[in-house]
Amino acid sequence: MGRLVELNSQRSPRREPGERESIREFLAVMLAGQTYGVELTRIREILSPPPLTAVPRAPAHVTGVCSVRGQLITVIDLRSRLRLEQAPLTRKTRILLTENAGEVVGLYVDEVRHVLRLTEAEIELATGVFGNDVSEHVIGIGRPPGHVLVLLDLTSVVPR
Amino acid sequence: MRFDLVTIDKGLEEIKERVKKIGEIITYLPTGETSSVDSIELDLLVASTRDLNSLSAELANVDLVIEEVPRRPRRSQTGKPKVGPDKISLQPDVVAAGSIAPAQQVAGGLSDLTGSLRSVSQTVRVDIRKLDHLMNIVGELAIVRGALARLADRLRGEGQRQSATDLLRLHRNFDRRLAEMQDGILEVRMVPLGQVFERLGRVVRQISRDLGKEIRLVITGAETEIDKLIVEELSDPLMHMIRNAIDHGIESAERRLTVGKPAMGTIALNAFQKGNHVMLEIEDDGRGIDGQAVLRRAVQLGKVGGEEAKDFTRADILGLIFLPGVSTREEANDVSGRGVGMDVVKTNISKLGGVIDVHSDDGIGTKMTITLPITLAIVSALLIRVADNTFAIPLASVSEAIGFDDAGLRVVDGREVMTLRGTTLPIARLDRLLSLSRSTSPPRRQYAVVAALGARRLGLVVDQLVGQQDIIIKPLGKSLNDVRGFAGATELGDQHVGLVIDAAALIDEVLSTTDAGARAARLTYG
Repeated sequence: MGRLVELNSQRSPRREPGERESIREFLAVMLAGQTYGVELTRIREILSPPPLTAVPRAPAHVTGVCSVRGQLITVIDLRSRLRLEQAPLTRKTRILLTENAGEVVGLYVDEVRHVLRLTEAEIELATGVFGNDVSEHVIGIGRPPGHVLVLLDLTSVVPR
Repeated sequence: MRFDLVTIDKGLEEIKERVKKIGEIITYLPTGETSSVDSIELDLLVASTRDLNSLSAELANVDLVIEEVPRRPRRSQTGKPKVGPDKISLQPDVVAAGSIAPAQQVAGGLSDLTGSLRSVSQTVRVDIRKLDHLMNIVGELAIVRGALARLADRLRGEGQRQSATDLLRLHRNFDRRLAEMQDGILEVRMVPLGQVFERLGRVVRQISRDLGKEIRLVITGAETEIDKLIVEELSDPLMHMIRNAIDHGIESAERRLTVGKPAMGTIALNAFQKGNHVMLEIEDDGRGIDGQAVLRRAVQLGKVGGEEAKDFTRADILGLIFLPGVSTREEANDVSGRGVGMDVVKTNISKLGGVIDVHSDDGIGTKMTITLPITLAIVSALLIRVADNTFAIPLASVSEAIGFDDAGLRVVDGREVMTLRGTTLPIARLDRLLSLSRSTSPPRRQYAVVAALGARRLGLVVDQLVGQQDIIIKPLGKSLNDVRGFAGATELGDQHVGLVIDAAALIDEVLSTTDAGARAARLTYG
């Protein structure tokens, strides 16, 4: 749980004046071998997965519920939400806690890598890159030097 | 000083007039010792420049007791009469305390007064959510406690006996304190039922005045404590039942006299604790419920078939008053008789995890009994396992658990039923109902947990009965709003979460779905 602090301290100190307002920070996570970015400000916490309880009759993308320090949290499988192939949990699997419409939900990711700082110039908006189904969950493509990652829109990934 | 509630304004005005001549009233404090619902006792704190004897003489013909409050350094600032000269320190403050038991009051009045002044400043109002939060923390600590026990076990397994014993001792201590803390928090949530009863007293006076009936309200057990949230939700249903009792139950004075009852009707409101439940009784000595009228109305509304109606027992008929639209009144009036009410009352009570029973004798009276859990925060539940899932079913909705085997099953109307002590019990297999997948076939010995919602019962077939546990129910998140059949989830210790079955919803679902296709559609949701 002290993980975020650690991640934040990894930020490179290269911050030039004037560049400030256009910088957005993303957490790079792995899903089915591909790197995705989620906006750092939306992440409350990164957890090792606690034991989950499946909810019968729940929509397919809901993996189950778990309790984090007494708070009940609905865990959503990002893979199924993004129509990626399913895979078993590994040692690196993490749950990202994010708040959406007043509800704290957990998102399964295969691995949490690092924090990326992207300038507006490095973000390519998604329209037209993917099919309609997926693109509604995608803000755009991030292209920092040496990387390509899909930037997810957490608001739409979490179903209402 | 004792006041009639009806005339309290006049009474206070009068005493103010009288005291004005001799000093100044600083404050009125209820003594809290009122023995009757129609009156209230107040301590009046009066500042005066006269001495005790002359005051007694002045107020001699009023029903009160006068007593001197000794001057204390700090109090003298506020207690000093405004009109009096500053230098006077010989002048006593005088308290006039009236009572129906004067002797006792003289002895206890002074300490009562200072006591109540202090208690005012020592009370805090707390948002109930803050208490919920504390309760959550206790839940968290319970998990830590479990981890401690496991750690101790492991140490012992590794041969570190001394450390294991030390740790176990710590664990026991922790366990005890935690239980105390949980009890403490629950206690804070408790408020006396008197809060609601007081309001009901006013309603009774008003309605009986409106309807021109003479009614005496007898309250017992106002000190019985119950969860604050329950009290809040209780006042509307109680109000409705009281209204019914006055309007439908109690006859007019003339009618009462002709049947040999006292002209003044009596409504009794009794509360008492029974184990983990609070019982509430609303009893009137009126005409009782006219069973035939209820039955006629139910048949008329098509709730009951005409043929069926012949076999109805008195208890069956009384159960009908909880159906929407059923009323014994031909015409509605302002107070009641519109046929909306008892069904709502029942729904509200069952929302609180309570049940309501009605007992009525023709010509003698009606008694409604409400059984409520003491607190909503903690619910006793039966833990069951089915297809490797653990679920909790609140005990409030479980009437019994019995052994189950396929042999006694019959299929009626496409639905499985079994016979339980001569009555037919519909059966639902929980694994199928919740579409749980099984890796192995169900065990040979299964159990049926009989869930009851009023008169409707449903046997839920489960693999294993784990035991009883007190649980804290937490609602599922918004994204699971559409999922029916669960009241929430709870922590089972060992970091695992168990879903809490909403028995009422399952009963509704199973018993109201005659169309198998619709049921299948609902089961494959998502």
